[in-house]
Amino acid sequence: MSALIICHACDLVHRLDAVSGPARIRCARCRAEILRTTEASIDTPIAWAMSALVLFIIANAYPLVAMKVSGFTRLTTLLGAALGLYDQGYESVAGLVFFTTFLVPLAQLGVLLWVLIAIKLGQPRAEPIASLRLLEPLRPWGMVEVFLLGALVALTRLSTLATIVPGIGLIAYGSFMLMLSSLVTTTPREQLWRWIAQSRS
Amino acid sequence: MALDRAESLVSALVTGRDLGLQSCALCRLTVRASAASARCPRCGARLHVRKPHSIATTASLVISAALLYLPANLLPVMHTHQLFFDEDDTIMSGVMTLASSGSWPLAVLVFFASIVVPMLKLVLLGEILYAVHRGRVRHARQRSRLFRIVEFVGRWSMLDVFALSLLTTLVQVAPLAEIEPRPGALAFAAVVVLTMLAAQSFDERLLWDSAAHG
Repeated sequence: MSALIICHACDLVHRLDAVSGPARIRCARCRAEILRTTEASIDTPIAWAMSALVLFIIANAYPLVAMKVSGFTRLTTLLGAALGLYDQGYESVAGLVFFTTFLVPLAQLGVLLWVLIAIKLGQPRAEPIASLRLLEPLRPWGMVEVFLLGALVALTRLSTLATIVPGIGLIAYGSFMLMLSSLVTTTPREQLWRWIAQSRS
Repeated sequence: MALDRAESLVSALVTGRDLGLQSCALCRLTVRASAASARCPRCGARLHVRKPHSIATTASLVISAALLYLPANLLPVMHTHQLFFDEDDTIMSGVMTLASSGSWPLAVLVFFASIVVPMLKLVLLGEILYAVHRGRVRHARQRSRLFRIVEFVGRWSMLDVFALSLLTTLVQVAPLAEIEPRPGALAFAAVVVLTMLAAQSFDERLLWDSAAHG
């Protein structure tokens, strides 16, 4: 059986034999990835998602970092970093930080977990699928890894004038990043929608 | 890996549009291109042969971002108050501070992420829009490769915003030291958001629709 696949980036039509096992296929003209499948069963992404959820909770419950300077100690959590900008009157930038480091990553994780469990239990209903549709355009706006590099830059600048102690929150947030990216790589778009279509039919 | 299995119709250059087919923008199912307001049978997303108003949307976002690029780089983004001195930092002076504290790799990284990437993004998007508007795109393959690199790297420009959020939150130990944000940060964050939206609203297929040759 062969199928027609159209490149989403340049509109070129490809004829493709049925793919079995893990594959990554690129467009012959523009090299965009047009199909990716994994061999992993649906249990693998569910496991990644659950561990990511636990790490996200820990990352928010503990301070990211502590700064010590001549007797003063200042701590901040992930949400505290956005709140700091808010308190200084930069509400829009604070909102952007909250959106990209907290809201989008959490939504991405929550929706995928919801959809995967719904597939696992059989007939997924309309709500998880509708939320998956809403999530798609938000993909580039989850910036966990960018925040971690930003934290490195901030802490490097501070290290000349204060003692910096990385907290449990920072380590948990870094591990959360790894779990989230494993979740995303084990749920390629095509495979996810195929799982959904299969469980509905 | 399974690259060889993708038997393309490259020699004939058959596009989805030629066959009346399209790829669903959301779940990438191959569907018949039909009347407006049709929905994908698999995921229910609205179907469009090309993203609607792609050129106009992208162009207005690029122009707004280009206007804000100047204040983003010229205005101070943060203010440091210490016992014996006060200092305003722009994006560039922040890079210099990093470099002078001996963290060369980080300084180079921030320089690229905050200054070079947004500028490259604006120039490239502007140039692509102009070529598509004229209806003749040369070197479509190189341009699409550049577009993807810039689209991928674009979000890393946010790292200065995140660094600022941590610095202003942590360094509140009056009277020893205080760090506050300054209006340049608003312009800078806006440039990053607008250029990301611009890349997202551009339909790459337009590059190939008017490609001068394959």
